[in-house]
Amino acid sequence: MEQELISKKELLDEKGISYGQLYRWKRKQLIPEEWFIRKSTFTGQETFFPKDLILTRIDKIMNMKDDLSLDELADKLSPLLPAFELRKADLFKRNIVSHVVLERFASEDKESVVYTYEKLLYFYIVDKLLQAGEMSLEEGDKLLQTMKDHYPKFEGKPCELLFMRKMGVSSFALLSVPAEIYFETGVKLIARLSMAESIEHLKGKLE
Amino acid sequence: MESTVKPNLLISGVSDAGGGDYEKVKIDGVGTIKGSIAAVNFDTNGMTKVLGDLRANIMDCDGMIKVDGHLTAGKSVVDGTLKVKGSLKAESLAVNGFLRIDGDCESEVLDLEGSFEVQGLLNAGRLNAVLQWKGEAREIGVEFIKVRRTSKASWNKLWRWIMPKAVPGLKASVIEGDDIDLEYTEADIVRGNRIRIGKGCKIGLVEYRTELNAVSGAKIGKEVKTGD
Repeated sequence: MEQELISKKELLDEKGISYGQLYRWKRKQLIPEEWFIRKSTFTGQETFFPKDLILTRIDKIMNMKDDLSLDELADKLSPLLPAFELRKADLFKRNIVSHVVLERFASEDKESVVYTYEKLLYFYIVDKLLQAGEMSLEEGDKLLQTMKDHYPKFEGKPCELLFMRKMGVSSFALLSVPAEIYFETGVKLIARLSMAESIEHLKGKLE
Repeated sequence: MESTVKPNLLISGVSDAGGGDYEKVKIDGVGTIKGSIAAVNFDTNGMTKVLGDLRANIMDCDGMIKVDGHLTAGKSVVDGTLKVKGSLKAESLAVNGFLRIDGDCESEVLDLEGSFEVQGLLNAGRLNAVLQWKGEAREIGVEFIKVRRTSKASWNKLWRWIMPKAVPGLKASVIEGDDIDLEYTEADIVRGNRIRIGKGCKIGLVEYRTELNAVSGAKIGKEVKTGD
């Protein structure tokens, strides 16, 4: 599950935008700094972007830029956790995470309990990995605990979640990006999720 | 919400001051700010040093100013030297003299006259550079850029006498933008919509979308038309 990249040139051609627009959006912080990934290629240094993230972001900007000023847009797209909260009952009703997840991990919480965005994000990620059939419910417990214990330490800085298994024993890790990581043989990387990407997806679901 | 009145900071002569949040900061002489400072109006004459970050809505500096952290400014004018160890972010910035930034430089409007050195990305809406000496940036990304060499040759002679090797001109590895108008520029790659390559240019690769105009004296390694 390596992140797919797109070069700056491909991006501009595909979306029909100009260099000026791209740099303007960067100045206005519509495109976060850490999405600009510099890599050396045979033509010299080139800039790449995480493909899914940048394509959805640019669609969003192009759709909204006629109605909103760029500064207003920047607030909407801020990579930090949005101040969004949801009651458990609503979470259940709107089917944002599957009922299995709520039953298993939130059965003790009352219906009226209000979840912060952070909490919603944890549920969402657990749900995503469960749905993909990559993780068992027991591992879900561990994942939830890992995120609860460590995710706040990143204080909104970009990070990734790693899920690996060796000889049937699973483990999770949170990693600040950009980073390179190599494993011993026998370790199988099952999932690598960008938290920023998950925040975006969840935001899309909640809107 | 009740707004508290912010204090002013005045330095005349030689003095130090702590950082803080001010309405007006005026420094005449030599002043050192030992920390991060924010001001609505930041006005200096002489030599100023900020050991932390500097935030100003309006900045007017004559003389020399050094910022150890990041500089965030609204409308700013510098006559003399501006050195920033972090990155610079501004609404508009005009520098008459020398600009040096160790990080990235972002401004909607950027007017540079004299010489500059940006080690990171130089990102501007409109960049106007009139070079009396060399201009350097790792990467330039703009909507509009115009680079010229100053017409007044008197200073050139002096510079060349001090530093025989220094020839006024721009040096960058990549220049990307919508409207690009270059003279006396040395770059590996220039990419954009409408590009004009004027005299004294040495460009490795030019990629243009709509239009390329090159004077006969310009050296261009390779031209490529992209899009459609």
